[in-house]
Amino acid sequence: MLLGIDVGGTFTDAVAVADGRVLETVKVPTTHDDLLVGILAALDHIVSRCPRQISRVALSTTWVTNAVVEGKLDPVELLVMAGPGLNLSGLLPVTPRFLTGYVDHRGIQVQAPDDGELQQRIPKTADSVYAVSGKFSVRNPDAEQQLNAWLKEHRQAEHVTLGGKLSGSLNFLRRTNGAYFNAAVWRRFKDFEAAINQALAARDIIAPLVILKADGGTMPLTAAGEMPVEAIFTGPAASVMGIQALTDCRGTMVSLDVGGTTTDLALWQDGQPLLAAGGAFVERYPTAVRAFQLLSVGVGGDSEVRLAGEEVVVGPLRRGPAMANGGTVPTLSDAMIVLEEASFGSRKLAEAAMDQLALPGLTVREKAETVLQAAARQVVVAIRQMLLREETKPVYRVAEITQPVILDLQGVIGVGGAAAPIAKRAAALLGAACVLPEHGEVANAIGAAVSRPTLEINLRADTVAGRYSVGELGLEAALPVGVRTVAAVTDFAKQLLCQRATELKMEQGESEVVSLESFPVVKGFNRSGWIYQCRMQLTPGVLMRLEEA
Amino acid sequence: MERKELGLVFFPAFDWAISQTHPERQERLLYTRDQLLEEGVLDLPQIREYRPGMAEWADLERVHIGVPGLESLVKDAHRVAAGGAIEAGKAVCSGETARAFALVRPPGHHAMRVVHGTRGFCTVNMEAIMIEHLRRHHGIGRVAIVDTDVHHGDGTQDIYYHDPDTLFISFHQDGRTLYPGSGFVEEQGGPAAFGTTFNIPLPVGTGDAGLHRVLDELVLPVLADFKPDLIINSAGQDNHYSDPLANMSVTAQGYGRLAEKLRADVAVLEGGYSIEGALPYVNLGILLAMAGLDYSRVIEPDRERCPAQSADVTAYIEKLIQERRQTWRERENLKRREIARWGDEWQRRRSVYYDDSGIEEEQRETARLCHHCYGWQGIDTSSRGSFGRKSAYAAIIPRNACKRCLQEAQDAVWSAKQAGRHQYYYIQNRQTDCLERIGGKK
Ligand SMILES: [Zn+2]
Ligand SMILES: [Zn+2]
Repeated sequence: MLLGIDVGGTFTDAVAVADGRVLETVKVPTTHDDLLVGILAALDHIVSRCPRQISRVALSTTWVTNAVVEGKLDPVELLVMAGPGLNLSGLLPVTPRFLTGYVDHRGIQVQAPDDGELQQRIPKTADSVYAVSGKFSVRNPDAEQQLNAWLKEHRQAEHVTLGGKLSGSLNFLRRTNGAYFNAAVWRRFKDFEAAINQALAARDIIAPLVILKADGGTMPLTAAGEMPVEAIFTGPAASVMGIQALTDCRGTMVSLDVGGTTTDLALWQDGQPLLAAGGAFVERYPTAVRAFQLLSVGVGGDSEVRLAGEEVVVGPLRRGPAMANGGTVPTLSDAMIVLEEASFGSRKLAEAAMDQLALPGLTVREKAETVLQAAARQVVVAIRQMLLREETKPVYRVAEITQPVILDLQGVIGVGGAAAPIAKRAAALLGAACVLPEHGEVANAIGAAVSRPTLEINLRADTVAGRYSVGELGLEAALPVGVRTVAAVTDFAKQLLCQRATELKMEQGESEVVSLESFPVVKGFNRSGWIYQCRMQLTPGVLMRLEEA
Repeated sequence: MERKELGLVFFPAFDWAISQTHPERQERLLYTRDQLLEEGVLDLPQIREYRPGMAEWADLERVHIGVPGLESLVKDAHRVAAGGAIEAGKAVCSGETARAFALVRPPGHHAMRVVHGTRGFCTVNMEAIMIEHLRRHHGIGRVAIVDTDVHHGDGTQDIYYHDPDTLFISFHQDGRTLYPGSGFVEEQGGPAAFGTTFNIPLPVGTGDAGLHRVLDELVLPVLADFKPDLIINSAGQDNHYSDPLANMSVTAQGYGRLAEKLRADVAVLEGGYSIEGALPYVNLGILLAMAGLDYSRVIEPDRERCPAQSADVTAYIEKLIQERRQTWRERENLKRREIARWGDEWQRRRSVYYDDSGIEEEQRETARLCHHCYGWQGIDTSSRGSFGRKSAYAAIIPRNACKRCLQEAQDAVWSAKQAGRHQYYYIQNRQTDCLERIGGKK
């Protein structure tokens, strides 16, 4: 039996699934003062109803997101080896210390960190948490590692986040931001980790506990303890994974998670939700944290409905609950209640809400329909924008211009409390099918329960220099003999990935090549070798699909 | 939509090469790509990235006359690079971005109006294709092109040699010491456009100091006098001290400062073949400067290898600047004298060599001088290569052609056709925006 718990803004949901079926679900209020209270209440409820052997507990929690949003961040000494290039002053969340030392684009350490400078410039402060980031550290981790060792030895560092460990992809700015946020939430997350371990032990639950990440994959709690920032934005990620478990989404699809104030859109191609290029934005800072590409539209159940001239506008503001529930302004939910597409609160008050919209000549039901159509149109604009953005994203090969990918939207998937009325109408406007999976209301917890672990490595092999590097693994070493062709490089990357997955005690599934580039390198007027860049990942997805009941 | 400082079309054409070991190969912008990605500049709020489109054949034929046709000479990669330049120009003309940088390959500034093949790595002229597209569709009038590639932009010069609305300024390593062997001070445009071709041939070893003297005392004042609607930078990066194909001493800082002072509306990448040591830094410097960001920390790891500019070079450049300033000041007089000297018709003969295609072309070019319009031009061209011989006669009718010039140009093509000395006959009519093929045998 797999257990999934999702901590949301209002509710903490938990589910138990086994053999492709949902065994039990529960919703308890989220306990904002101490998330753990609500988590354990939900857990206890499920365990008492389903006395089966638990094989995994998966937790999707707003813990990290809240810490960042509420500014509960520890002071961090941010150390940056920027080398030549963009001046980062003013671009980072805190003022960094710029240190000597850098690696060039080929992975050559042009300048090593300078011990004398470190002694002089890094204060012996009480803050024992550091973030270290070096340009091109993913091509050569030496400088970051030297600094790490130095901090542990000379400054008794309790924790050092290395940018290169966060992501093996090129983007120093994003790795630096990500490393900072990781270090800033590290200590408190450690406490959370200890508390939850203790609570599970007290309940004799020995099944592994995994944490959901922003990319919809899971990681073991211990790994999360070192990279807590990856557990940011898991709410939408859990919902996306739930959709994957509940539907068979082939072709190009868009999913709508309709909440109280927003609708989160995700774009799907051939059964996989697309990732955000480069990573997630945390606050307003781009980071290298892998995350789904989501677009949030200010249309939700509680969105205010008003008239702008003759036109009905839904959201983006919320001015209290639906009038059906005692609110003071008409909301989208009121329209749904009038049309019997939602059932809560007072129907009379909902009708009064619609009636007060100055749409002459329309009956109350017609007014409600007009409101829902307006909401659907707003969502459709966002869907079109998302498709267009994907179709016109930068590409680097001539063939991608001469044979561009045209996205043909096949379906709109709706999950979340208020999804059906919007998804149905949006799909009709787009001429696409509408998919409304069962259990959509606890899709988040289901997503957490069944997500596979994700792990990615970026291998760069340079046969001219005879070297390779893998940023995520902090590796830069001689390229093994025989690794000189595309096939051999791919095999080598796969081998490194599997090793790493085993070390992290991850459930082994399939692995796949995300991208592979090969460049002939010419010196003088002769081909002297190749540069290969291979991005390889454990195939993301779900451990089981849930059958239609 | 909020206006951005810089539109960037980055298109490294990772699946295209002239040939496997040619400098124009897949690897050329690989290290630049790595540097730009690693710096994270594409995430900055000042920059918006655009994807190139494919330039239409009509966009290409607005500028070029391919013999026998462009279809057999032009690859998809050329149309995408030209499309990238057009996209950059559109971003600026639509007001979406203040400036734009088309970081595309292959380059184009050695491609002339008549195209028989590929020369100096260029087949079609990216800047000219963009400019003529913007003139046709976005109402752009006067344009200045500042070619900062180390090689003389002989293709761009050729295309605009008779167009008084387009100022072509090129500084480059002196043609006596470098391909393509042109770009001397005497090349100043046809009589109707005399002075709007402005060459500044620089001595071997020119560094940041010399380049910025030329910029401050010559290029910027000339631009200010000309008052263009649009400034285009043919941004070649082979003046860099590490470039393997030339002998100058400019640094990434020198290029960054150049971009900052020039304030070009659109920059289009031209040459630059120090792909590891220069391009990642020079491209980054230009990009940051154009986006109004601090580029002062963009410094090559091996900058101490950059030779200092010698006193001789400094003195030579001083003198050159004085002479060129003098010429510019007297340009109206010189133009009148030139018109008087040629009378009704200007003409020249020349040979053009296509090094990448092994083709030799002989051209006889005429330009009709007219008081009512810019006058029409006739080009009698024949080439020799592995295909044997090709020959064509073409007339070019200017945007503002008067009735008489229009008639004369058409008559000239028809009588050439009757005489039958050529295989192909063309009228490039810039008034109707169309390239007509007249009869012609296959
Ligand atoms: Zn050049
Ligand atoms: Zn005329």
